[in-house]
Amino acid sequence: MPSPSIELPQGTLDLLILRTLALEPLHGWGISERIQQISNDMLRVQQGALYPTLHRLERRGWIEARWGASDNNRRVKFYELTKTGRQQLEIERQAWEKLAAVVSQILETA
Amino acid sequence: MHDLLFRLRTLFRLHAVENELHDELCFHLEQQVTKYVKSGMTEAEAVRRARLEFGGLDQVKDECREARGISFFETLVQDLSYTTRTLLRTPAFTSCAVLTLALGIGANTAIFSVVNSVLLNPLPYPNPQELLAARQNESRPNLKDMQRLTSSFSSSGGVNVTPMDFNGKGEPVRIHAAFVDAGLLPTLGVQPTLGRWISADEDVKGGPRNVLVSYPFWRDFLGSDAHVLGKSIRLSGNSYTVIGVMPSTFALPKETVDIFVSLWAAYPEAAPNREVHFMHTYWRLRPEVTLSQAQAEIAQVDRRIAEQFPDGERDRRTMLVPLHDWLVGNIRTAILVLFGSVGLVLLIACANFAMLLMARSVARQRELMIRASLGAKNSRLIRQRLTESTLLALLGGAAGLVVAKLGTTFLLALKPAALQRFAAIHMDLRVFLFVFAVSLVTGLLFGLLPAWSASRGDIAEALRENARAPCSGTSRSRLRSFLVTAEIALALILLAGAGLLIKGFLHLRSVNPGFNPANIMTMYLQLPATRYPEIPSETNFRRELLARINALPGVQAAMISDLPLAGNYVGHRVLIDGRPAPAVGTEPLVQTLSIMGDYFGVMQVPIRAGRDFQPTDREGQPLVAIVNEAFVRQHLPNQKPIGSRIDWIRRDEPHKWMTIVGVAGDVKHSGLSQPVDPAVYAPFSQNDEAWRRFMTFVIKTEGPIAGLVEEVKKQVWSLDSQIPVSDIQSMDGRMAVSVAQERFNMLLLGIFAVLALTLAGVGIYGMIAYRVNQRTHDIGVYIALGAQHRDVLRLIMKDGIKLTLLGIVVGLAGAIALTRLMVSLLFEVKPADPATLIGVALLLAAAALLACYIPARRALSIQPINALRCE
Repeated sequence: MPSPSIELPQGTLDLLILRTLALEPLHGWGISERIQQISNDMLRVQQGALYPTLHRLERRGWIEARWGASDNNRRVKFYELTKTGRQQLEIERQAWEKLAAVVSQILETA
Repeated sequence: MHDLLFRLRTLFRLHAVENELHDELCFHLEQQVTKYVKSGMTEAEAVRRARLEFGGLDQVKDECREARGISFFETLVQDLSYTTRTLLRTPAFTSCAVLTLALGIGANTAIFSVVNSVLLNPLPYPNPQELLAARQNESRPNLKDMQRLTSSFSSSGGVNVTPMDFNGKGEPVRIHAAFVDAGLLPTLGVQPTLGRWISADEDVKGGPRNVLVSYPFWRDFLGSDAHVLGKSIRLSGNSYTVIGVMPSTFALPKETVDIFVSLWAAYPEAAPNREVHFMHTYWRLRPEVTLSQAQAEIAQVDRRIAEQFPDGERDRRTMLVPLHDWLVGNIRTAILVLFGSVGLVLLIACANFAMLLMARSVARQRELMIRASLGAKNSRLIRQRLTESTLLALLGGAAGLVVAKLGTTFLLALKPAALQRFAAIHMDLRVFLFVFAVSLVTGLLFGLLPAWSASRGDIAEALRENARAPCSGTSRSRLRSFLVTAEIALALILLAGAGLLIKGFLHLRSVNPGFNPANIMTMYLQLPATRYPEIPSETNFRRELLARINALPGVQAAMISDLPLAGNYVGHRVLIDGRPAPAVGTEPLVQTLSIMGDYFGVMQVPIRAGRDFQPTDREGQPLVAIVNEAFVRQHLPNQKPIGSRIDWIRRDEPHKWMTIVGVAGDVKHSGLSQPVDPAVYAPFSQNDEAWRRFMTFVIKTEGPIAGLVEEVKKQVWSLDSQIPVSDIQSMDGRMAVSVAQERFNMLLLGIFAVLALTLAGVGIYGMIAYRVNQRTHDIGVYIALGAQHRDVLRLIMKDGIKLTLLGIVVGLAGAIALTRLMVSLLFEVKPADPATLIGVALLLAAAALLACYIPARRALSIQPINALRCE
C-alpha cells in the first residue's frame, strides 16, 4: 500500500524542519516521522539526508540541540527552535508562499 | 561569531561530538527498527529495511561532519593519525623518504645560511643603503679635497690598516691599527660603547695621540677595564690615551683591526703626502642624492685635482660602488653557483621522493580501491596522500636542519678566505622559514604529482595494472620515466660543474709558483720608528739578527720585504737609463722587493742570467738590482738586461742609478692564478727608504725542527725584547691559504655532485627494482619458455639504459648552457671542456648501468614455478 510519494524540492527540507520544530522540540527520528505523518506519507524524506541538514541548521544557530530522555528513557538529542530560527522560519515561509503563488499563477495563465 | 564558536567547540570536543553523532544516528535506526517490528516484520527484515532507507552510516556521518564545518580540522587530525600509523608500519619506506629529503633540504639549508648571511643580510651599520666605497685608494690630502668640494655626501672617511706593536703585560704583540681620518666612524655611524670618536679638531698636524680600541682588544688586553678612558697604552714606542671602546658587534667593512688612531697622530710623515694613496674610503650619500649624481660630482672633483696636480694625480678615475656590492663582489658568483647546484640536488631528491610515493601508492592500490568502493571520495583520498607526503617532507625538513647544522660547521671549518669576514654565518628565522617553505612546497608538489596521476586513472585501469598487465604506457610509468631522465640530466650537470672545478683546481695546484715552498717557515717582523729612526740602525739589526738565526744548527735563513702570496707589495715607478723619460705619471710601475741574505737560494728561485747578490753588495758599494723575467720581457725586450741601469722616479733629487746584475726566474707573487708582474729586487742594505721597516723571514730546514719558532723568537728578543713576531706560518701553509677559496668551491660542488650521483643512482635502481617486482610473473614465463640470462638482462635493463642515455644527452646540453655561468671560477679550463664532459658522462653512465644491473640480476634468480604460483 505505499502510496506514490514525491521528492522534496531542493531547499525545502530546511523549511519543513523549522516548521515542525515550531510546535515542540523533537529528536531526529521524531522529525522525520512527523513530516511523514502530516504529509500523509506523500513526502519521502531520505532519512540519511535529514541529519546533515539538522547539523547545518544547528551550526547556523537556527535550532539548538539538547540532550534529554526519550519515552523509553534513552538519552536522546532533542532539537528546538531558537529565536533567530523563528525569524528565519517566517522569512522562509513568506519566500515559499511567494514562490508557490508565482508558480501557480504562471501555471494557470500561461 | 556563533559559527566560529560552534566550530571550535566541535574541534576541541572532537571525541565527545563524535560519540554524540554516533548515538544520535543509532537511536534513529533503532526507533525505525522498532517501528517496523511493531508493524509485523521480522527483526532481520526490519533491520535490513531501516538500513536501506537510512543510507550508508559512514557516509551520513561524513556529511554531518561536513555540515558542522569541522571537516577540515577533523579530517586533518584523522588523516594525520592514519598517516602516522601507516608510516610507522613501513619504517623502510619512511626512513628512505625522510633521509632523501633530509639530504636535499639539509644541503640547501647549509648553503642558504651562507647566502643569507653574505648576500641577504644588511650590513651592520645604520641606513646601510646609503654607504658607498671607492674602488681606488686615496691619499689623505686628496680625500680632504674631495670632502671639501662635494656636497652629495653627508660624511665620508678613510682608513689605512698598518701593523703596530703593543707592549702590554705579556709578550710584545703585533696588532692591526686603523689609521683613520676623523670622518670614518661618523660615516659608518656606530657609536662607541664607552667614550667618544676622534674629533675633527684632534685629527690635525700635531694633534693628541688618542686611541679608540675594539671590543676584543679591550677584553683581551685591557682586562675589560670599565675605567679605561683616559689611561694610556704603549703602541710602537709611543704613548696613546684611550678615549673610547667600540661595541662588540662593530667591525670595519673590510678590515679587521684592533685599534683606531688618527693618521696624523700615528703616521705624520704620510698624512700630508698627496701621493701616498693608501686609504680605503667610505662615503655616506645624502638621502636625496642618487649614486649617479654623486659619481658625476666626484668625476668633476677628480678633474680639478688632476689639473692642479698633474704630476701625480693625472689618471684620476674614482669609482664609487654601493658598499655591499664592493664587499661581496668577488664571492657572489661562487655562492650563487653553489646555491644553484644545491638546488639541483634538491630537485633530484624530490624526484626520488615522488618515485618513492608512486611505488608506494601502487603497492597500496588494493587498499585504496577498497576504500574507494566503500564510498571514500576521490578528493579525500588525494588529501590523505598529500597529508602523507607533506608530513614526510616536514619530517625531512626537520632532519634536514640537523644535516644543515653539521653542514655549516663543516663549511666554516674549511675556512674559505673570502667568507672569513662572515664568521657570523648562522641559522636565523629566515633560514627556518626557508626550510619550512621548501619542505611544504616539496611535500605538496611532489606528493600531488603521483597522487594526481593515481587518482586520474579509473578503477578499471587500476585493476588492470594491479593484474600486472605488461602495458607500460600508462601515465604513471611515463611520469616515472620522465623523473628518472630528469635526475640523470641534473646529475650530469652537477658532475660537469664539479669536474670543471676539479680540473681547474688541479691546474692551479700544478702551477709552478717559481719557488720551492718545502720546509720553509716564515715570520713577520716590523721595527718601530721610535727605536729605529734611521736606516743604518735598521740595517744593523737585520744583519745581526740574520747572522744569529743562521748560526742555529740546520737552518738557512734570509729575508724579504714582502713575501710571495702574502697579498701585498710596494710598487714604484721606474726609469730606465738611456731611454727618453716617459711623460710624468706614465712611467712603468713595478714591484719593488728588498732582500737580505741568500733569499734566492733559500727559496730556490733560479737566477736565469748574471749573478746573485753577494755579501759585498752593501751600503757604500755600487747600487745593484736583480729583475725578474717579466721585467725583461716587458721593459727591456731588445736590450741586454745585465748592465742596464734603472732608478725610481725622483723629484728634486739627482738619480741614484742601480745596475742590473742578474735576472731571477718569475715568481707568482700575487696568487697562483695571477699573471706575474715585473719586479725589481734590491738589497735591504742599499735601501734608501727609512719606512721600509718591515721584513719577512724565510727559514729553510732539512726537516721539521721542534721548537724552531721559539728559538727564532728568542734570538729576536735577545736583540730587542719589545718586537713582536707575527704571521708565523709555513710556506706550504701560505700556498694552501692562497687557493683556499678555489678548494672550497671545488670541494663543495664535488660533494653535491657525489650526492646527486648517489641519489640518481638510487632513483634508477628503484625504478628497475620496481619493474622487476611488478613483472615477476612475465619474467618467470619468459624464463620458463627458455630465455637465456642475457635475454632477461636485456629485457630488464633496456628501459634503464634508454632513459640514462636520454638523460645524459639532455644533461650535456644543460651543462653546456649552464657551466658558462661559472667561467669566472675556472682556472685555465673552458666551461664546455670536452674531456671533462665526456669523462663525467662516462662516469654517470657506468654508475647508472650498475644501478640497473643490481636489480636486474635479481630477475635472473626468479624461479618460474614460484613466479607462476604467485597468481
